[in-house]
Amino acid sequence: MEYTKPMHEDAFRAGRALGLDHLKLGVWLFIGSEVMFFGGLIAAFLFYKVNNPTPESALLDVGLVGINTFVLLASSLTVVSALAAVGRGDVASMNLYLIATIVLGVAFLSGQAYEFVSLFRHGLTLSSSVFGSSFFTLTGFHGLHVLVGVAWALSTFFRGMRGNYTRDEHIGVEVFGLYWHFVDIVWIVLFTVIYLI
Amino acid sequence: MKSLVSRLRQPAPAWLRYFGWNTDHKVIGVQYLVTTFFFFLVGGALAMVVRTELLQPGVDVVNGTQYNRVMTNHGSLMIFLWVIPVLAGFGNYFVPLMIGARDMAFPRMNALSFWLIPPGGLLMIASFFAGAAEAGWTAYVPLSIRTPDGQTLWALGVIVLGTSSILGAVNFLTTIVTMRAPGMTLWRLPLFVWGIIATSLLVLSATPVLTAGLIMVALDRLVGTQFFAVAGGGDPVLWQNLFWFYSHPAVYIMILPGMGIISEVFPVFSRKPIFGYRMIALSSLAIAVLGLTVWAHHMFTSGMDPRLRIPYMVSSMVIAVPTGVKIFSWLATIWNGKLRFTTPMLFAMGFISQFLIGGLTGIFLAAIPVDLHVHDTYFVVAHLHFVLFGGSVSAIYAGLYYWYPKITGRMYDERLGQAHFWMNFIGMSLTYLPMFLAGLQGMPRRVADYDPNFLVPNQLASFGGFLLGISVLPFLYNAFVSLRSGKEAGGNPWRALTLEWQTSSPPPQHNFEQEPVITHGPYDYGEGHLAPHPAGAPAAGE
Amino acid sequence: MKERSILLVIFAALILTAGGYLAATQLHLMPFQASTRAVEVDRLFQLLLGITAVIFLLVEGALVYAALRFRRKPGDDTDAVPVHGNNALEILWTLIPAAIVVFVGIYSVQVLQDIERPQENTLVVEVIGRQFTWEFHYPEDNVTTSELHLPVGRPVLFQITAEDVIHSFWVPEFRAKRDATPGQMAELRITPSQPGRFPIRCAELCGPGHAGMISEVVVEDQAAYDAWLAAAKTGPSDPVEIFTQFGCAACHTLAAAGSNGQVGPPLDGLAATAANRVPGLSAEEYVRQSILEPGAHVVQPFANGLMPADFGQRLTDEQLDALIEFLLAN
Ligand code: HEA
Ligand code: HEA
Ligand code: HEC
Ligand code: CUA
Ligand SMILES: [Cu+2]
Repeated sequence: MEYTKPMHEDAFRAGRALGLDHLKLGVWLFIGSEVMFFGGLIAAFLFYKVNNPTPESALLDVGLVGINTFVLLASSLTVVSALAAVGRGDVASMNLYLIATIVLGVAFLSGQAYEFVSLFRHGLTLSSSVFGSSFFTLTGFHGLHVLVGVAWALSTFFRGMRGNYTRDEHIGVEVFGLYWHFVDIVWIVLFTVIYLI
Repeated sequence: MKSLVSRLRQPAPAWLRYFGWNTDHKVIGVQYLVTTFFFFLVGGALAMVVRTELLQPGVDVVNGTQYNRVMTNHGSLMIFLWVIPVLAGFGNYFVPLMIGARDMAFPRMNALSFWLIPPGGLLMIASFFAGAAEAGWTAYVPLSIRTPDGQTLWALGVIVLGTSSILGAVNFLTTIVTMRAPGMTLWRLPLFVWGIIATSLLVLSATPVLTAGLIMVALDRLVGTQFFAVAGGGDPVLWQNLFWFYSHPAVYIMILPGMGIISEVFPVFSRKPIFGYRMIALSSLAIAVLGLTVWAHHMFTSGMDPRLRIPYMVSSMVIAVPTGVKIFSWLATIWNGKLRFTTPMLFAMGFISQFLIGGLTGIFLAAIPVDLHVHDTYFVVAHLHFVLFGGSVSAIYAGLYYWYPKITGRMYDERLGQAHFWMNFIGMSLTYLPMFLAGLQGMPRRVADYDPNFLVPNQLASFGGFLLGISVLPFLYNAFVSLRSGKEAGGNPWRALTLEWQTSSPPPQHNFEQEPVITHGPYDYGEGHLAPHPAGAPAAGE
Repeated sequence: MKERSILLVIFAALILTAGGYLAATQLHLMPFQASTRAVEVDRLFQLLLGITAVIFLLVEGALVYAALRFRRKPGDDTDAVPVHGNNALEILWTLIPAAIVVFVGIYSVQVLQDIERPQENTLVVEVIGRQFTWEFHYPEDNVTTSELHLPVGRPVLFQITAEDVIHSFWVPEFRAKRDATPGQMAELRITPSQPGRFPIRCAELCGPGHAGMISEVVVEDQAAYDAWLAAAKTGPSDPVEIFTQFGCAACHTLAAAGSNGQVGPPLDGLAATAANRVPGLSAEEYVRQSILEPGAHVVQPFANGLMPADFGQRLTDEQLDALIEFLLAN
């Protein structure tokens, strides 16, 4: 039988042979489950959007949110740059890029807060209709994820200041980057689903 | 002052580590097993209330509201606090041992997964003091929006428990991918590990969707969102879709690791390699993938589009194929073997014969015209207990007996074990077989009162149920007493080939004295990998 | 194994299979067949029973046989002859179940299409579920009742919905069930084929009174049905009928109406209690208020809001008066 033959041993130190760090794999898996979480919320939103189209979606300000989307996209760019910087061993630039990321993240959240408040003024709230419920729940949970991302960026920044990351050892930054890009991509999907179609 | 400090410095007694934060996967595994067994007893006690109420028609012991609370929490505890987490407990203890790792990939997250369970359980039980959840374990809206506050605690409890399983699944998959010992190729993984892989994939894909749904229910109840408020345009069927998108895969989350345990037990006590190793491993993956596509078979009578029912019927029935592969492979494994009827072996054989009944009746349920008659009747209740009790719980018992020597270092008492098996087997058949008939004849489920026509099946079921209740006594007695008075087990009392047996019982802190190197498959009996008479030769079951 | 014992095993398996199939198809597990649909559903059920009985007997037979035949000899510590697999066998036991499943699937779809096919001359009945009663509306004749009557032999289309939570309309003798979901209209078709009285049960958990949400369908010949219809246009006038049909019985115990509901307070001896419930209200005024505005005075320890508040619209004045008189007299 095939599986009784002795094999080359070290190649099967599995993950290590695959070049996977366990932290990175863990975060990837966790992100997978997050995709399904948002999948559930998006399905609910779409279901209601298709089944009872309300005029309320006209209240949404695509222009403002478009700018906000741009802000978030830019933050992904700064994260890429931060990672590139630490890859070169340039921790100082990495810290700068992280600061930029945090600023952009906070800007996005402020934009979202502004959007929410102006929608409240127009009478769209969590409890005003299924549209309101699914809209605020979906975007709210995304906002929460951005908030967590900002906190994570802060902690990465402080570690960077303390000199925890080097050219060869910066898995913490990589993992943070994975999460941040994920949150960003979710937003692209949400923007398309909620504001564009 | 100084004496206090030095007293604190002294190493705590060994048993104390089971009661606190500890990152050793073996300690966590035991914590899981013991805690969840406690919840099994509580859920079982609730079942005793159900069976007492149903001993005769009429509302006598509990009223309608109380009955619904008892029934709801019986189902919820059994699923969310017993079968799902106890299997994760086995995974915790044995996955690292079986793949030759020192611990799980994320030991602290592992401890966190466990420590989410007691609060989740407390939330659920505490709900009894706030007007417990009473909408069934399926918590269908809008009923579950209107019930008292306990329902909110219930929903939060389930979210917490779901988070625990998601973290566990991340941990299992990472461990299995990155921490295998040299030579432990994919095709040499023990089948229990394959079961955990398939289960973890299901947890990652399905549990978050339930979380999303539960958040909607909780928001509807707490802040007045309109997700399921019909007047505001909400749709109750959406909840059913979200719930079953998780809860159908959940039934495979509850059976695949159990089937893995069965695949461990048969080869050892048949002294034969498992038959069709790859097919069994692949069938777990096939069941997991198919399992994600069948959820609406719970909704054939509901408001879904009638045309959509047929694909769900077909995919449900197709699951019979990979499941059959497992059953036939197990039969082929024991065929021409040298069988030893130890307690785990008996439970494994009991598993086949009773899970089979549950699985075959699943085909009736999947056939839409029949389901439109038997949906929400005792036929479904019988099906679910045959697969969950006859299936999952039998497998859990098989695992508890099989690995008891490994975990404790002592042998359990074989005669008590066999008595337990027979009480369990007879009680099981007596309780649930009559329910099929009651359901077909027209008895709906979730009722505190029933038509006197159904008296006989209900009395049989109640007596069987009480026998099941009593049957845990020999088990508990055995488990406690054998801790001290059981025979020393030695490292490998069953002369098994999988890695967890190639170390002492219980294993040392880092599992193996030296990193093991794997050169053959996990079930290569009869290929000369074992010395015929190792130290600590078989003690029990002679 | 020797050739002879292989033959023996195959022979035993064949006997088991044929015997099991025949026995299973003779079993009568289903209730009375009161609709054409029941006949078709039972045919499918019986077929499934036959097929699964065969599989069941083969697997259990193999298990028991193995347990008896392949016991380890005492003192034998050696391993068995290793066999890791057999491709032909594995393919076989994948393909045969697959074929069975395809067959069963196709047959089920056919039955499904048969039982749900629209028919000529269909009687439409709207069904409304609410905690914990059923209401039936006949749009053709503009009759609303809480008792379901159907002429034998005429196809029926139920249009099913609910007002508060999900219920499920089920007549076991018709083999037909469909959820009543608030905000949605579900369809269910049957053709009653036998006269008789059959229970209607709510099959979906709908609250504390779920077990008592039982009603009755009366299948009768056209003449009796027409007579009933004519009488039903005026609605029930007998107080006991009102009490059961409007669902009071599901929640209240009242010996005179033969009910034993447990959701609300028992109504036996109401005349005495009602006089003392609210100072300033006579027994008659109090009972009227209890029915029209249940929230005005809530009897402890029962919860407010359980008793429906819309009886004012659903009962005619005559019915209400008759009901109150009846309640105070018992
Ligand atoms: C361990 C848990 C478990 C498992 C494994 C299964 C397995 C299956 N279940 Fe079950 N099911 C539940 C737990 C489980 N179920 C629960 C808890 C409920 C109720 C939920 C609630 O409402 O509260 C439920 C309800 C349920 C319903 C909804 C009923 C209703 O409410 O109306 C349906 C409908 O299709 C169904 C179908 C199936 C099928 C087709 C399988 C298949 O996977 C079975 C496959 C196995 C076999 C068929 C036997 C072995 C195969 C062979 C020997 C090969 C040859 C066989 C053939 C060719 C047929 N189940
Ligand atoms: C794995 C899951 C599992 C298990 C093991 C069981 C075990 C049992 N179940 Fe349950 N059951 C479900 C899962 C399970 N059940 C689910 C999901 C439902 C559906 C719920 C719903 O509709 O929402 C259900 C519903 C259900 C019903 C239908 C209720 C209704 O529809 O109205 C009935 C009725 O008889 C029942 C009975 C039993 C019995 C007698 C046992 C016995 O096997 C139990 C045996 C008892 C013990 C082993 C413990 C005995 C211990 C003591 C007596 C000591 C007490 C000690 C302490 C308090 C510390 N169960
Ligand atoms: C869904 C359950 C339900 C239904 C249906 C129902 N009731 Fe009630 N009823 C209650 C509950 C609960 C109470 C006690 C709480 C309250 O007073 O509102 C109650 C209280 C009463 C009382 C006051 C009893 C007392 O002791 O003071 C009367 C009278 C009454 N109901 C009559 C009726 C009649 C007549 C009908 C049918 C036309 C009916 N009820 C239908 C649940 C119900
Ligand atoms: Cu209505 Cu159950
Ligand atoms: Cu299912």
